[in-house]
Amino acid sequence: MDGSILESIGVEIIGVMSPVSICMLLVVLIVYSLTSFSSSSGEPIRTAANLVYLETPTDSTSEKIEGSLLNALVFVILIAAVTFLLVLLYYYNFTNFLKNYMRFSAFFVLGVMGGSIFISIIRQFSIPIDAITCLILLFNFTVVGVLSIFAEGIPIPILLRQVYMVLLGIIVAAWFTNLPEWTTWTLLVALALYDLVAVLAPGGPLKILVELASSRDDELPALVYEARPTVSRNPRGSGFGLLVGGVSSESVEVEMTRHNPSDSRNGGDSDETMEETSPLVPSLRDRMRSSSSGSSEFSSIDRIHQTGTDIIEDEEVDLSPLGAILGMGGDESRRGREIIDEEETSRGIKLGLGDFVFYSVLVGRAAMYDLMTVYACYLAIISGLGCTLILLSVFRQALPALPISIALGIMFYFLTRLLMEPFVVGTSTNLMMF
Amino acid sequence: MTLAAGIGYVLLALGPSLTLFVTVISTKPFLILTLLSSTLVWLISLIVLSGVWRVFLPLKTTAWWPYAILILTSIAFQEGLRLVLWRGYKKLEDMLDAFADRVAKPRLYLTDKMQIALAGGLGHGLAHAVFFCLSLLTPSFGPATFYVDKCSYAPFFLISAIISLAFVTIHTFSMVIAFNGYAEGNKTDQMVVPFFHLMAGTLTLVNLVSGGCIVGIPLLYVVALSTLAYCGNMVWRRFTETQIRLTPQNQS
Repeated sequence: MDGSILESIGVEIIGVMSPVSICMLLVVLIVYSLTSFSSSSGEPIRTAANLVYLETPTDSTSEKIEGSLLNALVFVILIAAVTFLLVLLYYYNFTNFLKNYMRFSAFFVLGVMGGSIFISIIRQFSIPIDAITCLILLFNFTVVGVLSIFAEGIPIPILLRQVYMVLLGIIVAAWFTNLPEWTTWTLLVALALYDLVAVLAPGGPLKILVELASSRDDELPALVYEARPTVSRNPRGSGFGLLVGGVSSESVEVEMTRHNPSDSRNGGDSDETMEETSPLVPSLRDRMRSSSSGSSEFSSIDRIHQTGTDIIEDEEVDLSPLGAILGMGGDESRRGREIIDEEETSRGIKLGLGDFVFYSVLVGRAAMYDLMTVYACYLAIISGLGCTLILLSVFRQALPALPISIALGIMFYFLTRLLMEPFVVGTSTNLMMF
Repeated sequence: MTLAAGIGYVLLALGPSLTLFVTVISTKPFLILTLLSSTLVWLISLIVLSGVWRVFLPLKTTAWWPYAILILTSIAFQEGLRLVLWRGYKKLEDMLDAFADRVAKPRLYLTDKMQIALAGGLGHGLAHAVFFCLSLLTPSFGPATFYVDKCSYAPFFLISAIISLAFVTIHTFSMVIAFNGYAEGNKTDQMVVPFFHLMAGTLTLVNLVSGGCIVGIPLLYVVALSTLAYCGNMVWRRFTETQIRLTPQNQS
């Protein structure tokens, strides 16, 4: 049974899906265990996501809709502005500034937001721990996180990096679930639409950013989950094994060139890189989406408020040709060709952190209603992600990961809540099943 | 304590399928994808069904016939869906074979095909357990339990977990039987699947009678076990057949 193709198909898709699933699962658990915390926190917090309108349960539905629409609009405009700023900075080669900025935001998210979540967990389960120990642990946790997310020159296992990426997503998403209900829904829809425009429209900021990054042969200055090692974990004979070699060597070279981005084209080493990547570049489906910003905006301080904005800001999906093969719906003739490409170079699928965040926000919001909606939303989001990956293999271009998933997720949420629940509860409380 | 009980209910309903998932499915990414998509298909079928029945629910009468109609239509719909799934699977198989040729790997083995069917069935079973049992379990983690009037011998959660286990088994293995039956054109295999499903569905109608679950649940387990036995028997037959067919080829 060794050579069965069942084992090699879909490795990459699962490599993306499993962290997303873990992220969603943990957010749901946090939401479940901390619901008492968030309700006890009393007065609603003003954040970037509800700048205009603060939802109160007593408002009429039309007021809520209007207010939440305004909120979403303001939020999206804010994100768009920050993204353009980011693109501008990247365009004028302020790469170091961007990186340090990203480090600071990661530090902030892990330390402050993560810290407050830890504290509420400690309070909830009455874990006996003294303040100093807790502080030291938190500080270590944060520093390792910041180092692992932007490790340059330090050989940090990619697994650690992935773990921290997922953790960042979880923390931000857990904060987002504090938003009032209507605002959450409109925000999700607005972000999905924004995502669509920003990635696909000719002048979209993320499209520009991705093109810039690929033309410079540089890594995107963004928080991105890379699904690389899942490939290397399964180095079975076949094209995939060869591919692994290509992947790792390229990643090393990219790292090398990244140190001096301006000279990257002069060195012999980097020439090689260019050659090597060239088959890939046209098909580089990087995509960047900035979406979330408000995440950390829960703090009232202005300065922090701005920093939080970029944290998740950049999300990108860079689908290697591998993803394309794996997409079952892909064009058959293309598949063969891609394998050859792949043996030369490839990168793993990359998924922006913002996708993690907003998928989890949706699921977390569903978790506040019932478990049934959680399952339905999870399935919908995962299948939406699968559809996006398949589309990637067809279009071979950076694609937004939010729209399909969010649309399906919201649709299934309301269908489940309105249609399915009475049906299922009605039949199964009578102990009837089929 | 209630948390432990809740986890116990979950494991009771899903334990066997969890084992199957870890041992067979999770090692092969493609099977995970199959499982997820089949779960989604089942969810969609459930939503469609509940959309149709939403108008009539909740049923006010205590008569049994509306429930009988409900179960019959649901089973008919799901068995129709199985045919659609089979069509889809057929196409998928061709694609996979073509892909295998392209990368110079062997085509799908018989066991591969059966594993795909198993993953599909497990997806159906999991979806069933999740929506009919697990999603109602949330209150069981809280500080109380709940008894149904008509079956007051055990907590409602325990009973629904037990029933779910039977249905997970039936769903999982009837998919293997059905796909194999379609592939071979074997009429008995094709017919036995709706039969088992129908039997199981109608047996839950017994639960409507007060105290009926004492009779209904053991009978349900008879159906589940016979599905399992039938499936095992069929798989054994297929394997011995293929071995007999393969051996002379190897010798010549």
